[in-house]
Amino acid sequence: MPTTDAISRNLMLDSLREYAKRNIPYDFVREMDAKNEFPAALLKDMYDPEVLGINLLLIPKEYGGLGGSTVDIYRVCEALARIDLGVATSVFATFLGSDPLRVGGTEEQKRHWFKRMAEERLLVAYGATEADAGSDLVSLRTRAEQVVKDGELVGYRITGNKQWISNGGVADLYTVLALAPGGPSWFLVERTAEGFEANKHEDKHGIRLSNTAGLAYDDVFVPRNQLIGEVEGQGLLQAQAVFGYTRLMVAAFGLGGGWEALELAVKYSQQRIQAGGPLSQKQGYTHKLLVPHAIRLEAARSYIEEVAARLDGEEHGLQTEGAIAKYYATEEGNKTAEDAIQALGGYGYTRDFPVEKIKRDVKITCIYEGTNEIMEMTIYRGRWQEHLKTRGEYYPKLAAELDELHKTNPDVGADSAALGLRALAKVLEECRVQRLTRHQYVTFKLGELIANAEVAAAFCRTAAAKQIPDSFRLDRDCYKAMARVNARETAFDVAGKGVKLVLGNGNGDAAAFSAAVELVRIEDKMRGLVDDMDIVSRKMNETFRAK
Amino acid sequence: MKIAVCIKQVPDSTQVKVDPKTGTLIRAGVPSILNPYDHFALEAALALKEKNGGEVIVVSMGPSQAKSVIRLAQALGADTGILLCDRVFAGSDTWATAYALSRALRKIGKLDLIICGQMAIDGDTAQTGPAVAQMLHLPQITFCEKIDVRNRTLRAKKHIDDGFEVLEATLPVLCTMTMPHDYKPKYPSFPAVARSEAKPFELWTAQDVGAEEQYCGLNGSPTRVDRVYAPPQRKPGAVINGSAAELADRLVEILKKECFVK
Amino acid sequence: MIEISQSCIGCSKCVKACPFGAMHMEGKKAAADEKCTLCGACVQACPVQCISISRKDEVADLSAFKGVWVYIETSETASGEKFVKGVGHELLSAGRGLADTLGEELCAVLLGSGVEGLSGELASYGADKVYLADDAALNDYNTDLYATVLVAMISKYKPSVVLYPSTYVGRDIAPRIASELYVGLTADCTGLAIKEGNLLQTRPAFGGNIMADILSPKTRPQMATVRPNVLKKNAPDSSRTAQVVRETFSLDAKSARVKLVERKRNENVCGGKIDEASIIVSGGRGMKDAAGFAVIQELADTLGGAVGASRAAVDMGLKPKANQVGQSGTTVCPKLYIAAGISGAVQHIVGMSASDVIVAINKDPNAPIFNVAKYALVGDAHQILPRVTEAVKKAKGC
Repeated sequence: MPTTDAISRNLMLDSLREYAKRNIPYDFVREMDAKNEFPAALLKDMYDPEVLGINLLLIPKEYGGLGGSTVDIYRVCEALARIDLGVATSVFATFLGSDPLRVGGTEEQKRHWFKRMAEERLLVAYGATEADAGSDLVSLRTRAEQVVKDGELVGYRITGNKQWISNGGVADLYTVLALAPGGPSWFLVERTAEGFEANKHEDKHGIRLSNTAGLAYDDVFVPRNQLIGEVEGQGLLQAQAVFGYTRLMVAAFGLGGGWEALELAVKYSQQRIQAGGPLSQKQGYTHKLLVPHAIRLEAARSYIEEVAARLDGEEHGLQTEGAIAKYYATEEGNKTAEDAIQALGGYGYTRDFPVEKIKRDVKITCIYEGTNEIMEMTIYRGRWQEHLKTRGEYYPKLAAELDELHKTNPDVGADSAALGLRALAKVLEECRVQRLTRHQYVTFKLGELIANAEVAAAFCRTAAAKQIPDSFRLDRDCYKAMARVNARETAFDVAGKGVKLVLGNGNGDAAAFSAAVELVRIEDKMRGLVDDMDIVSRKMNETFRAK
Repeated sequence: MKIAVCIKQVPDSTQVKVDPKTGTLIRAGVPSILNPYDHFALEAALALKEKNGGEVIVVSMGPSQAKSVIRLAQALGADTGILLCDRVFAGSDTWATAYALSRALRKIGKLDLIICGQMAIDGDTAQTGPAVAQMLHLPQITFCEKIDVRNRTLRAKKHIDDGFEVLEATLPVLCTMTMPHDYKPKYPSFPAVARSEAKPFELWTAQDVGAEEQYCGLNGSPTRVDRVYAPPQRKPGAVINGSAAELADRLVEILKKECFVK
Repeated sequence: MIEISQSCIGCSKCVKACPFGAMHMEGKKAAADEKCTLCGACVQACPVQCISISRKDEVADLSAFKGVWVYIETSETASGEKFVKGVGHELLSAGRGLADTLGEELCAVLLGSGVEGLSGELASYGADKVYLADDAALNDYNTDLYATVLVAMISKYKPSVVLYPSTYVGRDIAPRIASELYVGLTADCTGLAIKEGNLLQTRPAFGGNIMADILSPKTRPQMATVRPNVLKKNAPDSSRTAQVVRETFSLDAKSARVKLVERKRNENVCGGKIDEASIIVSGGRGMKDAAGFAVIQELADTLGGAVGASRAAVDMGLKPKANQVGQSGTTVCPKLYIAAGISGAVQHIVGMSASDVIVAINKDPNAPIFNVAKYALVGDAHQILPRVTEAVKKAKGC
């Protein structure tokens, strides 16, 4: 992916925000949420190149698009999520729907279809999920039978049903995963194709502005040049190729939804006076419901930005890294929104205030684009390989880098992060020695610990860098305080849960294993934790001021 | 037509807060924007370019991050962007700023029209535009609502205190633009932003424009700030509560007490 | 000093443009004589920009500059009668105080046509002298001619301070002159004082969020503009007299490069013009609609005052911009300001905080307007004001 310059990116984000301020007022979103209605005209308007042309970001330059970088797209996804996650999902679905074409299409196909997407402002849908094939796509049942005429393959007939497809009832173009004789394959099918029907728009808990519908294909004919790549059986590979990338987009949704809710809660806390003062000055409230989320959301951001930069560089794939980002950011976004309702108390529980809708919306990010349980499994699988390949040196090596960093930047918590990584290495090794990974529960838990430890490390690295991200709206001192808190909390979490995991699923001496993961050293570094949280609380109140 | 527009990047003063204890500005988290009056001036320039053909050049004096507003102007349709950036300009008051800008405009040369926003929302002085006009010895029309050019004549509708005037002058002229109170600045589409990357952009130093150091920055400024502080808070009166009828009676009492009603 | 460079093409436009007859041709080149006042009219007129004026030597001795000057802006009634705009009284009053502190003269500067009769009024507000430039070419304000005359007068008489009203005219002419003379100018001062012999100029910045004290220590004259209704005016003393000094020059009206095509002055806005009203009843977003403003209008009429509006109310179309009080509207300082349904954003407060008595009515007990109100009523203006209007009508026996 090429990189766009930062000024362009910020100008685009400004335009998007200004557009939203004028054309997507909160009352409109609320009304559509109540009516369970997809704002078709709005999406078409956003795709108009004279207005925003947001869809052009994911169309490569050579086919009439803008060829946005991963960083551009993550920032735009975050901004969209802050406006409405349903609208964001619709835009995302168009992006996702065009991915198989991008990674697997022939030059001819790309030229034809991307051109149409750009010029005709097409809404696209990604038709993969089925009733019995969600996390487990391999069990898909939609089939594509070859149509042969005079000994020549002229096309395919697709029959089957898809479920819960975003943009399902409104897309102009569908990329449909079907089982061809050569294996799962992607097909480009237009909405006008005979035999195709979209089912009714689902009545969902959240993202109600996103049209979600089942698809019914009854002997739908597609010409052979609409088999992506014109080679059967490439479907799963093509899908997996972009996971690193699509997972980052959903991570950005978690980040955006979480921050939108959090900012509302911070502002509310300044206005709500109880017991002689505003809630924003009460630690029992701020240090439970606000500060920890600000910290973990920014930790998520630091990790997302690292992975985005790598994808914009020479690297491909990074599916495990994408999974870590998606898992961490969406879990955190969801919890933040939940606590935002709590923070607004009775008001948060009513529809007059935005937070209950944000909570309903953001829950989906833990489910779609791979459930967070699948993410835990994916993370575990990816890193377990590394642990084995390096004979247990993968995390100690990263820990050593952080110890080095701590020498030059002693104020970013790198020492705690290093302790967390070394503890993780010990846990992984003990699981290997005791063969504890035969218990699926252990493997998923390890996925959780790995994600937390790696994100904490990224947060420290970013806090020590010459420039903190320009997407961060507080100041450098606050950023470092956040990294410190996160590193200490994570190290404690990884070590404590790691001990519990090993002893709970296997054998061992508690004292010895606690010493092995250096639990006491980790605890010792807790000094100053609440002071750092106070810094974060203060800066948030300074920056996010209620009117 | 060759039109220059002077623009400035400013903090969004509607979001700036003052620390009441230290009297200094809290700029944390305050976004920087294109001065709204300049935004309006730019749109006026672009409308003229569309009608009469020609080019629009935007000039700004500022730190390197002011490049963002130049790129924004280019995304909206301006052609060339020039950033006057030099440490020597730091601390300039309106005179020194006008001096630097006028040197840059002189270097561009052969301008038919220079348009400025009437004032910047951080300084709020409205002095720089007329000062630039004077330094370039151009006729000036300030506080224009609307401008139009036909042949070599500019016609402007401008505010006066109790109404409006319509004025005419032969080009070259410098105009400063006021802003309708319900003005909504245009924003560029994504493709327009991408296109702006290829437009010509130049960074000019004091030396590039022949600005003499003695007339620049803090040293060249005839005014200087003695001190800055938070506005004095009036001591408010006690809050009065009550039913509508009670409050109405109270207010009538107040009006009588203060002798507004007998 | 004035310099004519080698690139002079001998067109003699400068000779015609000079109001003081100080330019003449020496063969094919222009030259200036001792009558030159450094007014800059020739510089403007020269098509090849071969004339330059430098003033470094002029400001070498700051103590040679004496006198507090006030630029007097005039207007005319519908029937053509000239009058002094009220802000002039305010500036003269403030200028009197500055002049007394400095031990210098207070001088009014009056430009126009047929305006000599206004000198007495200027004396009654404290002017010791009136510098008069009365000429048909100055009948309507025009940047080029007014700047030429003012620069000439300032160069000749060397005042230490020049004050201008911060009106559309004042904000057009003052920066032009300050630029020409390379002197300090401070806009929209809310306070003027003398500090260690210098003029201390106080003004708001950042949309009114911050106050700044400004000095122009190195240059003379020190110039400042002040908005109407900011400074208090003294009671006029008709026994005072001022010496009238008439300036002579010959202006070429054609050297005014901007021509007036049309002028339209507004009728009195409904409820009276707010900038001169002594009672203002003002409504904000909380008044919600036209019915809400009808309530405001009724009270204003009953009290004999004008109707004001916050920016929010104007944006909602409830009142025209002429009624807007605030940073981007009009600054007012009436004796009584009643703010109904106005939250009190900084931009609004800057426009009315100088009012003598401020009454604020708002449902929100935390509305910032209560920070500046002498009387803060927490309640619904829709319910309160009609009752007040009734009671006042009764008291007045209507």
